Amino acid sequence: MSETQSTQATHARRRTLPSAIGEPMVWLTGGALVVCLTMIAVLMTMVVVNGSKSFWPRPIERVVLHDGEVFLGIATEHEAQTKETAKRTLYRVGNRDIGQESFRWVDDEQIASIETPSDAVMLEREAWGVWFGVPESIERKGEGGEITVLARGGDEVFEAFDALHADARRTVAKIEGMKKRELGSINAEIDRLRLDVRQGEIKLARGDEGLLRFSWAVWIGLGILAAGLIGLVYRFRAYGTELGSAHARQGSVIRASGAIGIVMVLMAMWIAGPWKGQGVSAAELEALRETVAQREVELLSAYDEVIGRIRAIESADHELRLVVVEPTSGHFAPVSQTLSDEPMYMSQVVRLVRANTLSTGEKVGVYFSRWWEYLSTNPREANTEGGVYPVIVGTVILTLLLTIFVTPMGVIAALYLREYAKQGMMTSVIRIAVNNLAGVPSIVYGVFGLGFFCYTVGGYVDTGASESARMSSSAWWGMFVLAGVMLMIGFAAKLWSKPDPGRVASGFNLWMQRASWLVWIVVLVLVVLLVTKTPYFHGFFEARAQDGTPTFGARGMLWASLTLALLTLPVVIVATEEAIAAVPGSMREGSYGCGASKWQTMRRIVLPGAMPGILTGAILAMARGAGEVAPLMLVGAVKLNQDLPISTQAPFIHADRSFMHLGFHIFDLGFQSPDSQAARPMVWTTTLLFLAIVFALNLAAIMIRSRLRARMAGPTV
Amino acid sequence: MTSSVENMESETSNQPVVRSVAYQSNHGAGQVEDYQVIQAIRRGETPNPTVHPEVLEAESVIDIEGFNLWYTETQAIHNVSMKVPRGAVTALIGPSGCGKSTLLRSINRMNDLVEGVRVEGSICLNDSPIYAPSVDVISLRKRLGMVFQKPNPFPMSIFENVVYPLRIDGEKRKSVLEEACEKSLRAAAIWDEVKDRLKKSALGLSGGQQQRICIARAIVADPEVLLLDEPCSALDPVATLKIEELISQISERYTVLIVTHNMQQAARVSDYTSFMYLGRIVEYGPTAKLFQTPSLIETEHYVSGRFG
Repeated sequence: MSETQSTQATHARRRTLPSAIGEPMVWLTGGALVVCLTMIAVLMTMVVVNGSKSFWPRPIERVVLHDGEVFLGIATEHEAQTKETAKRTLYRVGNRDIGQESFRWVDDEQIASIETPSDAVMLEREAWGVWFGVPESIERKGEGGEITVLARGGDEVFEAFDALHADARRTVAKIEGMKKRELGSINAEIDRLRLDVRQGEIKLARGDEGLLRFSWAVWIGLGILAAGLIGLVYRFRAYGTELGSAHARQGSVIRASGAIGIVMVLMAMWIAGPWKGQGVSAAELEALRETVAQREVELLSAYDEVIGRIRAIESADHELRLVVVEPTSGHFAPVSQTLSDEPMYMSQVVRLVRANTLSTGEKVGVYFSRWWEYLSTNPREANTEGGVYPVIVGTVILTLLLTIFVTPMGVIAALYLREYAKQGMMTSVIRIAVNNLAGVPSIVYGVFGLGFFCYTVGGYVDTGASESARMSSSAWWGMFVLAGVMLMIGFAAKLWSKPDPGRVASGFNLWMQRASWLVWIVVLVLVVLLVTKTPYFHGFFEARAQDGTPTFGARGMLWASLTLALLTLPVVIVATEEAIAAVPGSMREGSYGCGASKWQTMRRIVLPGAMPGILTGAILAMARGAGEVAPLMLVGAVKLNQDLPISTQAPFIHADRSFMHLGFHIFDLGFQSPDSQAARPMVWTTTLLFLAIVFALNLAAIMIRSRLRARMAGPTV
Repeated sequence: MTSSVENMESETSNQPVVRSVAYQSNHGAGQVEDYQVIQAIRRGETPNPTVHPEVLEAESVIDIEGFNLWYTETQAIHNVSMKVPRGAVTALIGPSGCGKSTLLRSINRMNDLVEGVRVEGSICLNDSPIYAPSVDVISLRKRLGMVFQKPNPFPMSIFENVVYPLRIDGEKRKSVLEEACEKSLRAAAIWDEVKDRLKKSALGLSGGQQQRICIARAIVADPEVLLLDEPCSALDPVATLKIEELISQISERYTVLIVTHNMQQAARVSDYTSFMYLGRIVEYGPTAKLFQTPSLIETEHYVSGRFG
């Protein structure tokens, strides 16, 4: 009886805590997700809307103010009344070359009337921004100064313009092409010849530095030594490899030492061969100077000839003039601010937009033609007009180079960390260090890239070690031999540090391991010293560097992509490590059971299985690297560079050139352009383009990865 | 009625003791106190195993002598000496944790992949020692074939799976690979089922089919011994039966060493059986004898399911 009572009492005590009710959490978490998604959606929408509307042709208004002033312009912004200002409108009025600001605020109450005249045009020009006006006539101005009017007034002018404009633009393109290709190649050759002479002068000044060089007899003796070593290695190729042999380690040491010896002898033969570095004699330099001078004369006359042709075409082109008058001062659009009483050339007009008479179809046509111009031409007007073609090329090449550098580096590092290295304190420390790399601010990478890559490594590539740092050649050879010997010792120590199979490491093994570590470190230090202090290397681009324009010793595409590769390395390493660890151990065991070596297992089973994860890492690295601008400001991106980093001349990829980058371009447009109001729409459009490109790159990589995933998981998934 | 098995505690030599004493069964009266060998083992001693003479007379392909194995500090295999007869199926049975899988994996040195493993003693494969300093583990493993408990085909096509051992040896000739693949799949009794979809992924097969593919992969390079580590424990009874038939077929050509926790399987499939307990061999002899007239009461009670 009491049992039942107490049981009932126990049951009566059970109740549901109010905090156990989970519904509020559903609302909370859902709400937080909605907030995040809304923020992203708002950002995307703003970018897309603002970025796409900048090219839409808007009507040109003819505004008459109460004080009688008349101007033409496009209304870009409306502002409501604030404390300081009344209700006002921002008009783009262009016409900078006759001395006015290209944007002006007009208080709405000052406006008397607004019309949209049908023959008002906006001219997009090669220089000096846009021009708003009404076309008056098309003239041809002959050499003698006589003027022939080809068309006058309204529709006649428009018809004649349509007929003549395309040819005029083609002529301009032809002239640009001639300047770039023909003049460019002549200039490049003159430049090369001057550098050759300069290099000869440098060599003469240096003389023969007293470096150790082998005579032919010694050199041939070295060759025989190398052949002998090859024979030795061949003779011992199977020593110690039979099952049950007690000489396995000895055999390995003989073969490895032989190989190291062969490599060292060959290197010595190449570095100090008898044909090298005899310097240049004064007589040779004179002969060189003479040939160069002759060639220069030929080239200069070719240059003049090309210039002559260009001038002829230009003067023919400059005869054709377009007279477009603006209402405020009655002035026509001039050739330039200095030649302000000459009407502009027709070829200076990039596009004529008769904005008020366009049908919707025509507006769409103008819109897409502006987009096409944006994507395929070079920038004008301090990057506020024209296109961003070189910027797109620079960004894409940088991103591709960055991915090409970071993926192998990261995958190999992760492979070693996960598969070969003994998991212990050392590997944990390395992992922590790699993860911390991801937290370093990117501008620090920029500084590091500039100091280390550009100046130190780049300087070395350009000119070799500096004079004070160089060693004497006998000291250098001593260190060389020492490094080789220590390498052999380290290898032997490593072999003896592994215990026999099935045994546990003895004290002797442990000492051998410590010895091998020490020796490896010494070898590393020696190699670094050998490379950085060698007296035999004088750089590849010495003459240019001496002249003050270093090639690789300055900012450029190569160092920029390496810096960004370093920045995104932790991402790849972490992703690859996880992908490798995710390959099931049963598959690895199956491979070992079939008699595969560790490397074969990695190559055939582990790496293909980890490929989706590796690609994820590469995608993340690409996305992160494509968006980093701060390091690029220091290491390679410039505001304007007419040369693309790739071209049709050898070596096709010019990794020493600086380049333009979309992220940097946005920064430049937003904060460093002279006409910031005009630049504002371009900032949005460039942002939109940037996002689109990064999105496209990511999408491509994700598609590749999902196809790989499907293959790995079998047909059922 | 007590058994007439002598107490072996006092013997210290390493010679396997041959028992030919007729054993009088004590059905129904087996008490734990009669398990003298098992008791000795539980106390930490290593009594000599009971090895039937037929095993010693047969020609051996694997010779294990005085083999000990430690996982860091714990000893897993105690002084095991065993000869695996050529051309026959030998089964290792015993309760969980008795070291049969460890012993099997020691033969192709898969235990090298585990940290902290230490061995003493020797194993010889066709008279060449396995644990010598200069043995190339890779070439050793190529002489043996191994099938694991859970089927582990690679994420490649069936053809690639089966010829994987040949590919890693450098064989590239298509004719050779295709012929070896067909021969191996026929031997594994799965040719008819997959001959039309050799290029499809092996992961799309059922568990039993996958395990047969793994067996085909293990025999494609003509191994000297086939090592099977509980190959049927992850499969359903129908697949298990198929694989047991397969084992009987291939035992005509290959020596098979199979680890199993399923007594009936050992009885059906093997020619010789070795009963292990806590890392020691308790009894080792022809299957028929071990299951019908074993020398030790422990063996009889184990195979009839009374303990373990």
